[in-house]
Amino acid sequence: MTLAGWIFLGVSWSVILGLLIFCFVRVFEEPEEEL
Amino acid sequence: MRFFVPRRSVGVLRMTEGNKGMAEQKQRQRWGTKIGIILAVAGSAVGLGNFLRFPVQAAQNGGGAFMIPYFIAFLLLGIPLMWIEWAVGRYGGLFGHGTAPGMFHRLSQNRYVKYFGVIGIFGPLVIFIYYTYIESWLLGYAFFALMGKLSQLEGAQAMASFLSGYQGLVQNEFFSSIAPAYIFFLITFALNVFILWRGIKGGIEKLCKIAMPLLFVFAIAIAVRVLTLGVPNLARPSWNILNGLGFLWNPDFSALSQAKVWLAAAGQVFFTLSVGIGVILTYASYLKRGDDVALSGLTAASTNEFAEVILGGSIVIPVAFAFFGPIGIEVVANSGAFNLGFVTMPFIFGQIPLGVVFAFLWFSLLFLAGLTSSVSLAQPAIAFMEDEFSIDRKKAALIFGVIAFILCQPAIFFLGHGVVDELDFWGGTFALVLFATIETILFTWVFGIDKAWEEIHHGAELHLPRIYKYIIKYVTPLFLLIVLFAWFFQDGFKVILMDGVSPENVPFVLGTRIMLLAMFVALGIFVKMAWARKRKLGLLKSKGENK
Repeated sequence: MTLAGWIFLGVSWSVILGLLIFCFVRVFEEPEEEL
Repeated sequence: MRFFVPRRSVGVLRMTEGNKGMAEQKQRQRWGTKIGIILAVAGSAVGLGNFLRFPVQAAQNGGGAFMIPYFIAFLLLGIPLMWIEWAVGRYGGLFGHGTAPGMFHRLSQNRYVKYFGVIGIFGPLVIFIYYTYIESWLLGYAFFALMGKLSQLEGAQAMASFLSGYQGLVQNEFFSSIAPAYIFFLITFALNVFILWRGIKGGIEKLCKIAMPLLFVFAIAIAVRVLTLGVPNLARPSWNILNGLGFLWNPDFSALSQAKVWLAAAGQVFFTLSVGIGVILTYASYLKRGDDVALSGLTAASTNEFAEVILGGSIVIPVAFAFFGPIGIEVVANSGAFNLGFVTMPFIFGQIPLGVVFAFLWFSLLFLAGLTSSVSLAQPAIAFMEDEFSIDRKKAALIFGVIAFILCQPAIFFLGHGVVDELDFWGGTFALVLFATIETILFTWVFGIDKAWEEIHHGAELHLPRIYKYIIKYVTPLFLLIVLFAWFFQDGFKVILMDGVSPENVPFVLGTRIMLLAMFVALGIFVKMAWARKRKLGLLKSKGENK
């Protein structure tokens, strides 16, 4: 695994995890209600 | 019998046949919770492709550099399509339409547009009739793994032989007939119909609330096991997990100059998100007018990406590299997704401590991924019967079960004759790209981008960057048209002309095409009948609807 490989892995994982956490925090900010 | 109209219109619903019309005026089904529909859409999107197709595509198309076109396609194609489908689905649901014919009709009011919507029922139905069979293999393999049958097989050759015996392609020392596979198919099929029979809230939502967290637990457990394997063979220290990750992630920037790499990335994003099928339209139709679609669509997409890039990228390729080395991994990666999932992975699990447990977790996770996808593929056809013909939900699920069961048989008994490939081409590839292009153009250009933008933002818990208004109007349709034409000229012609089909399989391929044509025509006739029926019952209010 080269440094460039680590960078691509790190950036990709960070973007996806960041997006996932952002979304779920926003979803759960609102109290769960019956739709 | 169900018919749903916008709340504001309930009072003015015109009924020419008194009680008959009243009976039509029932509430449609609803999701129980917001997390329920997010997990259901994510469940529809997360499938075998996340764990088997993505890592192979990435490794073959530039490694880490593949992620550049992948993320660009995700931003310009995947996410916009998610928002479009959620918004169109919710909009159509307000008028009592759970499938594309009614939704398209509402977007344009042109009398012929609803027939394009047939693709949105046809596509998922075609995928369902072969996908359910493949899903049943996973259940069978989870059972064999738990019974220790897979761990007794010695070598990849024995694994391959076991698979072809199970599929009924050959009779060998493992299987003398297709009966075991058929029994697992019956169980899987019955489970699907039972969940669909239970409905949206009591069936699909309940399933996804249990299956999705379980799927992630299984996948994380396997990924942790793989990433902590280190060097499985001390005699070959360079065959290790880190170098396996390197095989997937080390960037080859020269790949970015190749059009096929960009096309592969766009295709992967497109197919992984379950867009262009018609499933998200149906799921979103069970939302209310004020329910959010912007944040929910993005959350479902990001959940799928987590499963694909982080979990899918951490299992198959790294572990296969650690066991087969830099040359062997090329062979494994080129052997196809099924081989990877059903031959390579169980073989590897047979080599590690607690392999029986991990093999069981592997096939169980894929089965759960398959089950949450297959129920979503069936729902458009069921929703069509419920919404457009006022057939009771349970009855609709049973009718679907009977018809789909008959349609599944060629995929099971003629598997070795190219039937599944043909179904996958027309239902799982061609219909998807075409449908996505039509719905995007209809929503942004015919319905109008201003109304579309307002529709996406109605009740939204997330305000989209304004640039997306232009991306959705110009970039996404253009991107789709490029993908459609490029893919058609690259692969489509060859398949249509049966290039590579052996002469003895030509009748089977032609037979499959006739079956598909008959299905498409029948669905078109059903759409015509549905509108004629509604016209007769006086359920079409405006002048445009009466067309």
